Amino acid sequence: MEPSKRHKLSASARREARWGLLFLSPWLIGFLVFTLVPMVASLLFSFTDFNLLRPDEVHFVGLKNYRHLLHDPLVEQSMLVTLRFILISVPVGMLFPLLLATLLNAKRLKGKPFLRTLFYMPYIVPMISAAYIWRGFLGTTDGWLNKGLAVLGIKGPDWWNSPRWIYPALVLAGLWGVGNAMLTMLASMQGVPTELYEAAKVDGATPIHTFRHITLPMISPVLFYNLVLILIGTFQYFLLPWVIKGPNGDPGGATMFYNLYLFKTAFPYSDMGYGATLAWVLFFIILLVTLFLFGTAKYWVYYPSEEV
Amino acid sequence: MRKWMVFLSVLLVLSFFLSACGSAPTATPAPTEEATEVSTPEPTEEATPEPTEEAVEPVVIRWFVGLGTGGNPEQIEAQQNVVDRFNAEHEDIQIELEIVQNDVAYDTLKTEIASGNPPDIVGPVGMRGANEFEGMWLDLSDLIESHNYDMSDYDPATVEFYRDNDGALLGIPFAVYPSFIYYNRDLFDEAGLPYPPHKYGEPYADGDPWTVEKLEEIAMKLTVDANGNDATSPDFDPENIVQFGYLTQWTDPRGQATLFGPGSFVDENGNAQIPENWRAAFHWYYDGMWSKWFIPNGPYQGSDLLAAGNPFNSGNLAMAHCHLWYTCCLGDVENWDIAATPSYNGQITSKLHADTFRILNTTEHPDEAFTVLAYLLDDAAPDLLLVYGAMPAHKSLQAAFFEGLDEKYPQGVDWQVAIDSLSYADHPSHESWMPNFAKADDRIKAFQSLYENTPDLDIDAELDKLRDDLQAIFDEVK
Repeated sequence: MEPSKRHKLSASARREARWGLLFLSPWLIGFLVFTLVPMVASLLFSFTDFNLLRPDEVHFVGLKNYRHLLHDPLVEQSMLVTLRFILISVPVGMLFPLLLATLLNAKRLKGKPFLRTLFYMPYIVPMISAAYIWRGFLGTTDGWLNKGLAVLGIKGPDWWNSPRWIYPALVLAGLWGVGNAMLTMLASMQGVPTELYEAAKVDGATPIHTFRHITLPMISPVLFYNLVLILIGTFQYFLLPWVIKGPNGDPGGATMFYNLYLFKTAFPYSDMGYGATLAWVLFFIILLVTLFLFGTAKYWVYYPSEEV
Repeated sequence: MRKWMVFLSVLLVLSFFLSACGSAPTATPAPTEEATEVSTPEPTEEATPEPTEEAVEPVVIRWFVGLGTGGNPEQIEAQQNVVDRFNAEHEDIQIELEIVQNDVAYDTLKTEIASGNPPDIVGPVGMRGANEFEGMWLDLSDLIESHNYDMSDYDPATVEFYRDNDGALLGIPFAVYPSFIYYNRDLFDEAGLPYPPHKYGEPYADGDPWTVEKLEEIAMKLTVDANGNDATSPDFDPENIVQFGYLTQWTDPRGQATLFGPGSFVDENGNAQIPENWRAAFHWYYDGMWSKWFIPNGPYQGSDLLAAGNPFNSGNLAMAHCHLWYTCCLGDVENWDIAATPSYNGQITSKLHADTFRILNTTEHPDEAFTVLAYLLDDAAPDLLLVYGAMPAHKSLQAAFFEGLDEKYPQGVDWQVAIDSLSYADHPSHESWMPNFAKADDRIKAFQSLYENTPDLDIDAELDKLRDDLQAIFDEVK
C-alpha cells in the first residue's frame, strides 16, 4: 500500500518535496561530510595504528588499541580527573542556576529584568576572554579575590597552581556560563500554574514545602534536560584549563582531563589510531550515562502530559 | 518499536559508509599529487595559439610558515613580498605561501602530511619544532653538492648543528640566537653592585671567577622584599618579594639545566637518564625558588610584579638568561645590557637556538625546492631576518643586523657578547631529539610545572620518577 500511496503524490506535492530537500541539503551534506563520515572514519581508525606522520604505513591491528587502553595509566588518571571534576562541578552547575532562577522568580524582588540580564551577560562573553579574566581574578599574589581576602587577614590559596584548589577555581570560573541554564529554569518556573501555589497556600504550605513539592516536580523536565547537557559537557571538558594552564595538565596532572588526553594523543602525539579509540570509548561512556539517566527519569522526572 | 526502527536505520546508514570507506585508512596517499595539480596553470589555448610551442608548466613549491615565527602582520607582508619577487623572476618555479598561526600550525602540518597533501618547504622552524617531525626532513647533502651551494659564509660549528646522528644534513643555517645574561643596569646601580662581566673568561669585578655560584651570590643581594631587605638578610620576607635577582627565562627544564653544562635525558643506548650536572642544576633552581628566593617561582612568574609572564621586561628582575630573540620583547625596560654566561665546574655553556627552512622528504620536486630554499637563505635573507628579528647565520650579514638593533635600543648594548656566545653553544642541543618526542617533552614540562609551583618537594625522588616515566615513554616506541 505504501508505494502506491507515494505514487499518488500530486505534482505540486512532489515539487514541494524537492524544494524541501533542496533547502535541507546544505545541512544534510554538512552532516554527512563533517559528522557522519568522520565518525565512521574514526571508528575505522581505532582498529589501526594510523600515525599522522606515517600515513602510508597504516596497518589493521584489531583490538590492540582497546587492549592498550585498559592498561594505559594515563587513561585511568585522566578519567579519574574527569570524574573528580564531575563530582564537584555538576552539583554546583545545577544548584547555582536553580538558586538564581528561584531568586529571579521571587515576587518581591526589585529590578528583575536588570538582574536577569546581569546574570545572563557572562554567558555571551567568549570562553577565551572569560578564561583570561578569571586567571587574573584568581591570581595568587595579585588576584582581586586573594587581595580581598588579604584585607580580611586571610591568606588566599594558590588557586591555579595547587592541585587541591584548581577544581574550585575551575568551577568558579565555570559558573560564569550558567546564564543559559538559569534562563531555562526560570522560564520553566514561570510556567508552573499559579493555582497550584494558591492551593498550597490555602493548605498552609510553607515556601520550602511549596518549592519542594510543587516547583521542583513541575520543573523537573528542565532540570533533567540541563543535567544531561551538563554531564555530557563535563565529560568533554578541557577548553578552560587548556587556556589557563596550558596543554600539559598542570598542576601535577590535575587538569589532564580525558578529552585533553584524547586530543593530545591524536594530534600532538600523532597517534590517530589510539586517539580514535579513546574517542569511541568516551562516546560509549557518555552513551551509557545518558541511557542510565533516561532509564531512571521515570522515577524523578514529572511530565504532566503523561498523566491520563 | 519506533525507537528500534530508528536504531536499525542508523545502523544501516553506518554499515553503508563502512563498506564505502573500508579501504580508506590503509590507502597509500600520493603525497604531492595535489601540489602537482595546483601547479597546473590556467588553460593557455587562447593566449598561445601557436600549436608548436608547448606551454611550460611551472613547478609549484609550497612554503609552510607557522612552526616558528612568521605569523605577525608585518612578517606576513614581508614574506609575501619575498614570494612575489621570486615568482616574478622565475617562470619555471612558483612559490605558494601558506601561513598558519603557530598555535594550530603543528596540527595543521600533521594533518596535511596525513592527508597526502604536505608542503615542500617548512620554516622558519627551530630544533624543537623540527623534532616533532623527526624522520620527515630531506638530507640536503647531495643537493648542496649538485647545486654548488656556497657554504663558506657559515660558521662550521653552526652547520654541524643541523647534522643528525647518521650524518645527514637536515638544514642549512639561517638564523641563530645565542644566549647570554640580560641585566638591568638600574637595579645593579641601585644596589651598588658592579655589572657582570662582558668578556668570556673574565672574572667578576671583585676578582672572583664568573661562575654560577657568583651569580647566585649577587642575585640574592638583588632580591628585595617590600621592606627593603635583600635575600641575604635574616629579616627577608619571601611572601612579599618586590624584586628578584635571576631567572633562566622562557625555557623548559632541558634549557634551564644546560646552564650547568650540556646534557640529554637520553643515554647512548636510547634509555632515559638524568645527567649528574643536570641533577645539580635542578637542585640549584629549586633551592633558588623555594629556600633562597632569588629565582621567582611559578606564582611569582605569573604575577603582575613580573609582567605576568615577561619577567625581565617588568623591570623587577635584575638578570635573566635568555636568547637573542628576546630583544623582541623588551619595550618596557630601558636601561639594560648583556653579559657573559657564567661557568659551572669550569665549563661555560650558552645554549643556542637556530631557525631555518627545511625541505620535507615527501617533496616530489627536491631540486626546485632547493632552489627556493637557497633563495630564502641568501637573496631573501636580509628582508626576512629583519622582520623575524633574527641574527643572520651568514657572517657577512651580521654587522648590518646589529646596526639595526642599535637603532632600536639606543642605550648602548654590547652585542659582541652575543657573537662570542656562539662559541659556547650546547652540544648536544638542549632541544635535541628524544624517542616519542612530543610525549616525552610533555612529561618533562610537567616536571617543570611541579618544581616551579610546589614547595617542599624531594627533588631527587621527583627526578628518579621522571627518569622512570621517560623510560616508559621511550619504550612505547621501541
